Amino acid sequence: MPGADKNTDLSERIEAFLADLKRGGTGAGPLRGSAETARETTALLRRITAQARWSSAGDLMEIIRKEGRRMTAAQPSETTVGNMVRRVLKIIREEYARSRGSSEETDQQESLHKLLTSGGLSEENFRQHFPTLKANVIEAINELLTELEGTTYNIAMQALEHIHSNEVIMTIGRSRTVEDFLKDAARKRKFHVIVAECAPFCQGHKMATSLSQAEIETTVIPDAAIFAVMSRVNKVIIGTQTVLANGGLRAVNGTHTLALAAKHHSTPLIVCAPMFKLSPQFPNGDDTFHKFVSPHEVLPFTEGEILSKVNVYCPVFDYVPPELITLFISNIGGNAPSYIYRLMSELYHPEDHEL
Amino acid sequence: MNEQELVEYFRTQMGKDPDMASAVAAIRTLLEFLKRDQGETLFGLRESLTSATDCLTGVDSSVAVSSAGELFLRFISLTSLEHQDLSQCKKVMEERGELFLQKISMSRAKVAKLCHTFIKDGAKILTHSYSRVVLRVLEKAAAEKKRFSVYVTESQPDAAGEQMAAALRKLDVPVTVVLDAAVGAVVEKVDLVIVGAEGVVESGGIINKIGTYQMAVCSKAHNKLFYVVAESFKFVRLYPLNQQDVPDKFKYKADTLRSSQSLSEEHPVIDYTPPSLITLLFTDLGVLTPSAVSDELIKLYL
Repeated sequence: MPGADKNTDLSERIEAFLADLKRGGTGAGPLRGSAETARETTALLRRITAQARWSSAGDLMEIIRKEGRRMTAAQPSETTVGNMVRRVLKIIREEYARSRGSSEETDQQESLHKLLTSGGLSEENFRQHFPTLKANVIEAINELLTELEGTTYNIAMQALEHIHSNEVIMTIGRSRTVEDFLKDAARKRKFHVIVAECAPFCQGHKMATSLSQAEIETTVIPDAAIFAVMSRVNKVIIGTQTVLANGGLRAVNGTHTLALAAKHHSTPLIVCAPMFKLSPQFPNGDDTFHKFVSPHEVLPFTEGEILSKVNVYCPVFDYVPPELITLFISNIGGNAPSYIYRLMSELYHPEDHEL
Repeated sequence: MNEQELVEYFRTQMGKDPDMASAVAAIRTLLEFLKRDQGETLFGLRESLTSATDCLTGVDSSVAVSSAGELFLRFISLTSLEHQDLSQCKKVMEERGELFLQKISMSRAKVAKLCHTFIKDGAKILTHSYSRVVLRVLEKAAAEKKRFSVYVTESQPDAAGEQMAAALRKLDVPVTVVLDAAVGAVVEKVDLVIVGAEGVVESGGIINKIGTYQMAVCSKAHNKLFYVVAESFKFVRLYPLNQQDVPDKFKYKADTLRSSQSLSEEHPVIDYTPPSLITLLFTDLGVLTPSAVSDELIKLYL
């Protein structure tokens, strides 16, 4: 029966995506970048909207929330999945409000103003059925996908405002966003890039190779040399895995060191991060989101003798507090870390912070 | 409703439920005042409400009461913009007032729900004086079976810290009372600092019992997390730049203001903590960074 086929097809795709997520985040850098993950998640959510059975916005939100929970549980460190789910939930709320005809802006957020002026304990339960809701939501998700595709280009476009001739830029590890950012500036300006190799995965090497192929003068340094070299650096430009709700970062390990060295020398620290990396989580513990992978990269198993006497750890991420960051460059422009709360309230609804 | 009745009603409200914030009692009193008001014009109503608020601040000079009064006045203005006819307006105001009271009665629970996840198992917490919101947060964390221990400052001149310690002992939370002067020595032992607030100012800073600023400076020096828990009706339209900018009418108790000859010989009961020392604010509007507070106030007042 065609209906049953659609359903099994959909659940097959979801299962395939979950399996992919579980495999995707094991050591040696991500097998896929966050941008692809974001795109695939959004495409999958669009498919769920189109193919799953739902009659009201509330049902759709429940389905998406359920799938979202499964997806984030499969790979908790890949926060873009959760972020996209929340974006789609916000889209559904907005389209619902628009269909109902109420002004969407004021109804969404909790505020003192709303506390004082609302007429009733309005429990918005999203039960009304609108025939055009499906088409509207799918169209809005398509717009979201277009936005996702343009993010790197939008960020790279801003490069010329920030990078000037004969500057020395430092970066760490490999970020596709920063790579495109620097390559775009290199078309018109001549500058020098110092890349910290970011042990133990040494993604910095690949970054340096790629940049030098674009005819940018590049130098690779070991992580231990970051502080020593920092006095010669004009700007530090880095990418990140996630931007947290307080304006802090969860970035590749070694970034905190880099940030502290930059602060010490009063060097501006610029973070290039597209909006889909913004997550409503707060850093509420120093052990709750560290992801560890096999310590083989740090101390190979062949060093059998000493393994019984030492503990070896290989953390993947670092937390950088917001005070060390100067500017966030995202696809919607440059913002200070203290402004992140505002961007968050525009992208996500407070009730979706906990999926 | 004349002054005497007003003050008595306020006192009864405060006495009835010692757990209620003084701002909530003030709003209840003003709502009652509104119900009994015989005025014919909106202007007259606003005038009488302003004098009623002044009267209440004469009883309890805390920032919270004054901010509650301003909030209520704003509430009146916003409602009156929608309905031109005064009697209809009054009816709407009464309904909305009741609703508002209902909502803010749930605000402490909301704050506790947000904040308790930030308390890790095995945490050592430092707090200042007696705050009902902090107590609620710690209650919730204890109910979630988290093990933590608390250091409370004695908080002279009224030794309110002892009250907090007694309440925490009832919850089986290990608690140590420390001298106000011992804060600097104790802060290296703790993992985080949680305080309440009597008022949250526009810059994102807070006004709280004297000794809070000290605690904030010490925790910044030791790089400890400094969390503030406050309900949203405590947001007040003040922008102090330093301790001196805080108006005298908040710094001293109402009786002191009335009776003393020269204020420079009195001890202030509150101080101002600037936003640069605060990590996060937990309110019923969500978890806010200090820069987000002014946004909320702008949304309401402008």
